[in-house]
Amino acid sequence: MTFVRLDQAEKEVSSGSVAPQDRPRGRARRRPLGGPRWVGWVFVLPGLVGLAVFIVIPQLASLILGFSNSTLLGGTQFTGTANYVRLLHDPQFLNSVLVTAIFVLVYVPANIGISMAMALWLKTRIAGRNWLRVIFLIPALSPMVANAAVFRLLFQKDGAVNEGLQAIGLGPIPWLSDGNWALAVVIGVSLWQSFGYNMIVLGAGLDSISPDVIAASRIDGAGRFRRLFSITLPLVSPALFFTTVLTVIGAWQTFAQAYVITGGGPGNSTMTIMLYLYQTAFTNNELGYASAIATVLFLIIAIFTLFQLWGQRKWVHYD
Amino acid sequence: MKSGLKTLRGRGRVGASILVAGTLALGLAACSGGSDSSSGLSGDTLKMYTWIGGKPDKQQWSDYIAGGKHADPKVAVSFSGPPINDYYTKLPTVMKSSSAPCLVTFQNGRVNPYVQGLEPLDDLAKKNKLDLSAYSSAMLEQLSVDGKLYAIPFNAGPNVIFYNKKLFKDAGVAEPTSNWTVDDFISTAKATTKNGVYGFAIGQGSTPISTLMAADGHPYADKNGPKLDDPNFKNALQLLVDLANKYKVAKPLEAAAGGTFPDIDAFSTGQAAMSLEGLWDLQHEQQTLGKDNVGIAVIPSTSGKSKGFISGSGFGITKTCGDKQKAFQAVEAMTSKSGLEFVTKSQASVPARLDALDAWTTNVGSPTFAAVIKQMTFDATPSPVPSDQAQLDTLLTQYEVDAFSGKSTVAQVLQQVKAGLGQ
Repeated sequence: MTFVRLDQAEKEVSSGSVAPQDRPRGRARRRPLGGPRWVGWVFVLPGLVGLAVFIVIPQLASLILGFSNSTLLGGTQFTGTANYVRLLHDPQFLNSVLVTAIFVLVYVPANIGISMAMALWLKTRIAGRNWLRVIFLIPALSPMVANAAVFRLLFQKDGAVNEGLQAIGLGPIPWLSDGNWALAVVIGVSLWQSFGYNMIVLGAGLDSISPDVIAASRIDGAGRFRRLFSITLPLVSPALFFTTVLTVIGAWQTFAQAYVITGGGPGNSTMTIMLYLYQTAFTNNELGYASAIATVLFLIIAIFTLFQLWGQRKWVHYD
Repeated sequence: MKSGLKTLRGRGRVGASILVAGTLALGLAACSGGSDSSSGLSGDTLKMYTWIGGKPDKQQWSDYIAGGKHADPKVAVSFSGPPINDYYTKLPTVMKSSSAPCLVTFQNGRVNPYVQGLEPLDDLAKKNKLDLSAYSSAMLEQLSVDGKLYAIPFNAGPNVIFYNKKLFKDAGVAEPTSNWTVDDFISTAKATTKNGVYGFAIGQGSTPISTLMAADGHPYADKNGPKLDDPNFKNALQLLVDLANKYKVAKPLEAAAGGTFPDIDAFSTGQAAMSLEGLWDLQHEQQTLGKDNVGIAVIPSTSGKSKGFISGSGFGITKTCGDKQKAFQAVEAMTSKSGLEFVTKSQASVPARLDALDAWTTNVGSPTFAAVIKQMTFDATPSPVPSDQAQLDTLLTQYEVDAFSGKSTVAQVLQQVKAGLGQ
């Protein structure tokens, strides 16, 4: 897997540090194959229509609905910014932001850490490592709803986990009746389900590191930890960046795990923003308010993603 | 040349605008239901949207349609739908869509949140001279909102206590009587709690609370919504918590997804000797535990004079239905005496009409069962189903766990639910 930082490449080309030898000039540069300009639009039109129908129009509709009082079977009344003012004073929503933030803070570093550790482990000359990769990827391929039913049985008061703990003189732990433990279960199940995907991506990043570089660092006397922190991690940083961005976005959008394991409870201890949004829209039938929540969630994710894009220049190495 | 290009660009913009407008219009058209004469029908066949959890549900609807056909050979109904735990979530979207059905079904009298998309049936009932007095008045009230009837009941589903006769016999406990009290119930639950089996399995949400309240004649809701400040509401939830924490005869509730039924699962698998369920579960429980092994009893009350909590199911007609008269005739046939009597030949669900109960007693139940059903159905505590019923169930399911774990008192839980409902 090769990662190229496009903005850097453009900059280098325009500043002259890289000679733009292959770049055609003038009108020919725009139309190297000839033909009218609209031909290009025809080629991208199917993609654009798909983008418009499935992404842009629903997003715009959601944005507009956020300024209304709308129900599925009733009408729609424009209410200005009332939904957004209500959000600021809605303890259930503010709690869901806090719960999701805790989830992101614990889940993302744990996910990246476990994925990286597993990828490094599978990079060693361990027997059957390809099979192990497949095995660790299986949870990511299995449906969450089916997994959740099993996890609920495992973690209930008299479930297998507590029976196991009691056999060694521990527990029982109130996994599903205490808010903190319930959130820990949701985070744990999420990690179990998703680390395999990141492990594969990071493994591909590790595989792309030239053995010559590692060999050179050995000759220079770099120890195991020096090699990891000064050679491996910088060289795999584009893959790390990619997985971190996607994991953060996914973490803010967490829904299925809480929905199928705890239903947001006990109390509202596992009520994520997405679950609250879903309940608002489809249980409370408040589509306008749910759309306002969706807009705020979109903004939160956009801010975090932009922050990561801005921060990458300090730690991501594309060389 | 330049002006030609400008014209071309202008045309391009117009074309793009038409494309976007067309796409939007198509999208909006797809989202909103039409109302022509064919809406909700496929040829001459009425489309019905209902809950289908598997083969038993499919069989149930096929039997009701066959019953309708038996009463009126012109009846033609097809059906589709998701499992019950997704049904009420998807129902508004389906009713609003261009493929909205003519007929929809409701369980537990939950018509209130959907009345904007439903046709009031009073005028159609008058026009077709349907005698509504044949149905339980409590059931009709539950399926009405602001004095207008929105569904015709087909299934009288009073909640009752199901008990496992074998577990009772093993524990040496007498079977419940028609005048048993809450104290009798607790003693029975204590006696049957042994060898890893609980005496009772507690259900989530408002149903156990509303049923216990109804047994003593207290409705759990009024026209303003759920009566969360009513001491009887608090007492009913406290009794459930005590069953788990004080008397140790039931498993405490834990966090679980809405729409799951750990109590029914516990009873079906013999892990609990008693559970509180709607009568529509009877066939399922009989198939799982053995037909002669499942008993039903009235809900225990403080006084011993128990009243029922109606959870009637009914057929409704959508506002967008292209042929409402045809739809009503089908509903009338499926809920007619002969239609419901026909259904009792293959289904254990109790007919909503008293005049069809004899056929049910002969075909499915027993005189003992019939006595329980008569007491629970025709001496029921009337109660409206609030428009925020789904929200109430969701919030109770979330917060009542804290009362079982001891983190909150019952009063605190009800305050949190009240805050969630915005009362």
